[in-house]
Amino acid sequence: MEGEIFEQRTDLSKLNHAVEQIKATLAKVIVGQQDSIDLLIAGILADGHILIEGVPGVAKTLTAKLLAKSIDAQYSRIQFTPDLMPSDILGTSIFNPKTTEFEFKQGPIFGNIILIDEINRAPAKTQSALFEVMEERQLTIDGKSYKMQEPFTVLATQNPVEHEGTYRLPEAQLDRFLFKIEVQYPSLDEEIAIITQQHHRKTTDQLQEIKPVLSGADIVSLRQLVLSLHVEDKLLVYVAKLIHESRNNKSLFLGGSPRASLAIVNAAKAIAAIKGRDFITPDDIIYVAAPVLRHRIMLTPDKEMEGVTPDDVITQMIHKIEIPR
Amino acid sequence: MPRCLYLLFIFFTLNSFAAKPVKPAVKHDTVAVLKTDTAKIDARTFNVAKLNNYRKQPDFQYDYVETSPSWWTRLWHRFWHWFFHLFDFLNGKDSYSGFLSTFLIILKYLAVTLGITAIVYIILKLAGIDAFNIFRRKPASTGLLYDEHIENIHEIDFDAEIEKAITQHNYRIAVRLLYLKCLKQLNDSELIVWQPEKTNSNYINELNNKRQYNTFKTLTRQFEYIWYGEFPINHSIFNNINLMFQQFKNEI
Repeated sequence: MEGEIFEQRTDLSKLNHAVEQIKATLAKVIVGQQDSIDLLIAGILADGHILIEGVPGVAKTLTAKLLAKSIDAQYSRIQFTPDLMPSDILGTSIFNPKTTEFEFKQGPIFGNIILIDEINRAPAKTQSALFEVMEERQLTIDGKSYKMQEPFTVLATQNPVEHEGTYRLPEAQLDRFLFKIEVQYPSLDEEIAIITQQHHRKTTDQLQEIKPVLSGADIVSLRQLVLSLHVEDKLLVYVAKLIHESRNNKSLFLGGSPRASLAIVNAAKAIAAIKGRDFITPDDIIYVAAPVLRHRIMLTPDKEMEGVTPDDVITQMIHKIEIPR
Repeated sequence: MPRCLYLLFIFFTLNSFAAKPVKPAVKHDTVAVLKTDTAKIDARTFNVAKLNNYRKQPDFQYDYVETSPSWWTRLWHRFWHWFFHLFDFLNGKDSYSGFLSTFLIILKYLAVTLGITAIVYIILKLAGIDAFNIFRRKPASTGLLYDEHIENIHEIDFDAEIEKAITQHNYRIAVRLLYLKCLKQLNDSELIVWQPEKTNSNYINELNNKRQYNTFKTLTRQFEYIWYGEFPINHSIFNNINLMFQQFKNEI
């Protein structure tokens, strides 16, 4: 693809074709948001869960629904509310009078692509129900473990925590999300394009136009391909230095976990694959650093009061570390 | 008409006589009959043996019984007694005189100093502070385990190092040095601003000249495939890349 004098070691043509198809499918409905879409696809390829944050009305849920619809896999949606109980998500054992036995009735979490809308509207008790399933891809209820079917990906949307009726997600849960994608307001041109596109639309149901372009099995095989990509040792050290810096940074109360280091490497591999390379570069690492780290790090109270954002600190951290070359 | 009225009068008059008489509200005296309780009562008594058993258990003994202190408690009492008597000389309670008195005073001061030092040391140790190097300036390094080798491109003798790498058939290193040399030349020509934390794409984007931009982008790609991708490189591929670098040098 990129290197004219080098032959590709890994065949990424199927992956690149699939990515192009997904992008084309989403572009039918979504205007702009190229970075968000790239990260969403990278998140799916890196076998990660994705948290999408944005103010109301910036098409967070629509984007997640479109992505889910473009994959031919079992899709389920859970609307998080303040009174939602863990059993509403996971399922519960119900007594069957015919067999005189308790039978487990699976909750909506049993699926391949799970869209959790407004995830931060439920309190910590409900959030903690997701801990095991998000990390271990299994559920243990009444002493019995249930394995999730592959692929298993949680796409969650949330409003910023400052908004009314929202809870801050527990750190343990935030750490389980590969990316936190921040969806911004569209530019003026994009806003005009959105209005024009909507004005000329023939149908009211935008999802009708979307057809699946990949199967669940395709996703599993593409994930295996992404995992096999090459990472030079110095880049692993670079990632470790970056995370180490986050733990010693004076502006931070909480730094990145080892899970964050692994997340950066996996996400960088996915980005490299999308770009048609079978190896990662420092640019890939820097590209994914902010979405991987911004929800995992916690600012000190004084920095928070000064108006410093996690992204500012991540940029400072990146500027402190020499690029290995 | 008068007949009608007369009939109505008779009807209502007879009706009023036919009505049932209202009972007078007279309260009759009722005779209360007291029923005898015939229920059989089994009188139950406490099991005295069980009660005594409970009484013997220490959990149910509420009277304070003074016990003699254990040897450990006595030891501590002695220690604290000795410790508080260490300060007797401050109040002039010491009964010794002469050399022995002076020696004891010195000994006590020493004991107190040693005790305070030990306490401070333990506190510092628990707080994770290196007590012996507390006033010594520490290096800024955080003690990372990996080899941190920082190169300054302005200090490398590129021609000699590249020649050396080619002689050793280490073409991967040779391409790396060619790329670093290229960055130095771009920096010297003020086309880019060299900073170790900048990525290759940062440098590409700093080039305003379209031709230079495209050539440097291609060179960067070759370098990345060899350096980060660890693609195998032979003499022939190296010669091609070397030629591209030489041509780019002439463009700068």
